[in-house]
Amino acid sequence: MKTTWNKWLAGLLGSAIVMGAMVGCNSSSDGNATVSAPTATPTPTAAPSIHSIRHVWVLTLENENYTTTFSATPTSKYLAQDLPAQGALLQQYFGTGHVSLDNYIAMISGQSGNPDTNMDCQTFSEFVQTGTDSDGQAIGRGCVYPSTVKTLPDQLKAAGLTWHGYMEDMGFDPAREAATCGHPVIGTQDMTQSPESPSSAVPNGDQYATRHNPFAYFHSIIDSADCGTNVTELAQLENDLKSVSTTANFNFITPNLCNDGHDTNCVTNEPGGLSSVDTFLRKWVPLIMASPAFQQDGLLIINFDESSATSSVPDMTANTLTIVYNGDSCCGQKPGPNLGTYPQIQNFGAVTYGGHTWSNMALQYTSYGGDRTGAVMLSPFIKGGTVSTTGYNHYSMLRSIEDIFNLSHLGYAGQDGLTPFGSDIFNNLH
Amino acid sequence: MYIHSRRLVTSLFATAVIGSTILWVHAATPATTPSGAHPPAKAQTWPGAADLGRALFFDRGLSASGQMACATCHDPAHAFAPANNLATQLGGPDMKHQGLRAAPSLRYTLNRMPRWHVEQPSALLERLEAQELPPTGGLTWDGRFDKLEDQAAFPLLNADEMANGSDTDFANRLRKSPNAEAFRRVFGDKILASDKDALHYAGIALAQYQLEDQAFHPYSSKFDAWMDGKAQLTAQELRGKQLFDDPKSGNCASCHFDAKGANGAHPLFTDYQFEVLGVPRNSELAANKNPHFFDMGLCGPLRQDQAKEKTYCGMFRTPTLRNVATRGSFFHNGRYRDLKTALQFYVQRDTHPQRWYPVKNGKVVKFDDLPADLRGNVDTNDEPLTRKRGGKPAWNDQQINDVIAFLKTLNDSDTTTVIEAANGKPRHGG
Repeated sequence: MKTTWNKWLAGLLGSAIVMGAMVGCNSSSDGNATVSAPTATPTPTAAPSIHSIRHVWVLTLENENYTTTFSATPTSKYLAQDLPAQGALLQQYFGTGHVSLDNYIAMISGQSGNPDTNMDCQTFSEFVQTGTDSDGQAIGRGCVYPSTVKTLPDQLKAAGLTWHGYMEDMGFDPAREAATCGHPVIGTQDMTQSPESPSSAVPNGDQYATRHNPFAYFHSIIDSADCGTNVTELAQLENDLKSVSTTANFNFITPNLCNDGHDTNCVTNEPGGLSSVDTFLRKWVPLIMASPAFQQDGLLIINFDESSATSSVPDMTANTLTIVYNGDSCCGQKPGPNLGTYPQIQNFGAVTYGGHTWSNMALQYTSYGGDRTGAVMLSPFIKGGTVSTTGYNHYSMLRSIEDIFNLSHLGYAGQDGLTPFGSDIFNNLH
Repeated sequence: MYIHSRRLVTSLFATAVIGSTILWVHAATPATTPSGAHPPAKAQTWPGAADLGRALFFDRGLSASGQMACATCHDPAHAFAPANNLATQLGGPDMKHQGLRAAPSLRYTLNRMPRWHVEQPSALLERLEAQELPPTGGLTWDGRFDKLEDQAAFPLLNADEMANGSDTDFANRLRKSPNAEAFRRVFGDKILASDKDALHYAGIALAQYQLEDQAFHPYSSKFDAWMDGKAQLTAQELRGKQLFDDPKSGNCASCHFDAKGANGAHPLFTDYQFEVLGVPRNSELAANKNPHFFDMGLCGPLRQDQAKEKTYCGMFRTPTLRNVATRGSFFHNGRYRDLKTALQFYVQRDTHPQRWYPVKNGKVVKFDDLPADLRGNVDTNDEPLTRKRGGKPAWNDQQINDVIAFLKTLNDSDTTTVIEAANGKPRHGG
């Protein structure tokens, strides 16, 4: 990496021209950047800053709590130890809600959850909007937001920048979803909620889940031809990485339900969980990091949608079992206008667990956060072995990416006082 | 995260015959042999295998009785389902052995049947929720075969069906068959030297026939023409479809999917999932003379590997409804002989249980085809199975006739119903 960074830095210093003009627009995110003193050349050059980052990858994994992923004896040593040694470990990174979909939507739009997205949108319904609050939150419920609700891809396009979503397995069963921009017909049941095991017609199975593809939930994206071009199956990434010109500025990678750790003992007979996460990352992270775009000015963020950390509260007298999500959050996260008050409890009726049949299992969300997951970031701008204890969440990430590309802040990414990724992470900007 | 929305699983219309056996072999079957001998070649590279499979499918000489072929129970004129209305079919060396389960139609689902699986989320909470996730896929009523050569071997060796006593017994019959020469041409001169290879590759040939031959997926029904805009459904048929689809009414489409696929593929009217429907015990079945015997599907007795999963007891896989109106018996145990009664059972199971189940000491014994301690497995959560005794059934008599009219649109043009065949009527027209 050292030789790579040297090459990168030389290229960066030689090419940075307009970045200085951008710095003033985003004072919160680059205040610790330093300006190199002019040396031999009289022409002033901008110092590296977060705006020097021109290619971002977000790779989102599923449902794991920080203490499990980053334990002393981790299942995925590659994620927990090897990658942080090359970049930064964000120890206090939080999901923004439970369950999956609300987190993914938050990452690219700054919108908080509603009763449907917080149930993963079993039916792919329209979002029925009744208003907008002062934080830019669409008031209402449903799944597919109207075109007036903007996303990071909309911002990037308007700024003349590019984006791409890579969705593993999408279109493997073409009867289930299209190979590009795959999503259910609006108003119908989402057939991708469960993975499909292999058959004669679909020999590799299909573990694509629409609910892990945030682009599918915005009319501004799915009604655009860009969706068919820019939201494709993962295999395309390998080719796209081969040159800077074919690498989008912003990239979102969603592994299938096995490789993102969502499932275990997967329908393809792979192990799943953090074991399959490890295998997946060992293949794809080196490809990304070796790509010209990454080496030139890249940033890879590996995060989780939410934590799975729960506590069990058995009541032997009542013969009930309560599973508690703390719903912890950070960064002054607000609940949003659509979810009501907390704690919230769902009852699931009788279940058998641990050899005991409970007359009722209840699920309690004590609060609205997504709990602590941790994240790993890799970049030539980050020194290996960096550890950040600053609180961050998906809204922080969105704000940071918007700052990187000099974009305005959407939804809760614009929340007062929200801290974007700072010098605690980008500590190699010199 | 996954939140399961439990759906009505109408394991509806089953059918009768011997052991419920479909003969087909997975195209991706590894080209290894049980004996360890070198395989002749990969399945897809065997020219003539499908034609050979067709010949074997109709070869009665491969059975102990000399009177039974695959086509005996899977009649092409009846959508590869039985041509009679017996609860289950007769076979064995004397053609007097009664099978345990109804023989299904072999049309449409074979090449799309996913391997048997149950999604297993990694997170604790989702594992708990997953207890409500029904298993999916696999061949036969209990999904016990993933390896197609194993499945093909079952009816060939089953004492109640073709009754070959062993692979040697079968191989000896094959060697004497008029198809032996063709078998050697396709699979190699020495293929019949091994008894195990003979059985294994017979299965592959049968599979290739069923996967490749257009007769197994003609899409020639009025419904298909309607989907293509080439026919119109009558007002009654449309009423029936609405009742079939309505989640608050029949709710049939929640399991018997009837929407086009993302690529325009016509629906197959199954979700491949398992359901505990609580079909009454069929006293016509010889096995049921023993009051302690219960055919519990997924948890045994034919399937052994899930015997400890008590919540699976009573589960049978949801069949396709294509050509259901041509059948002569319905449900896994062939309990009912006409479609109207089968539909009445659905909507009156809970409102008029005394019509369907025995009454002992003045009390209706609901779900009497399961041991008393397992009757709680029966679905009472999904419409139309949620109603109370004395309540209003989801459908009245006229509405049932409407649904039947719709289901008749699923009959392929080359089929004839069991009733029509008995009356000497010809096949359906185009």
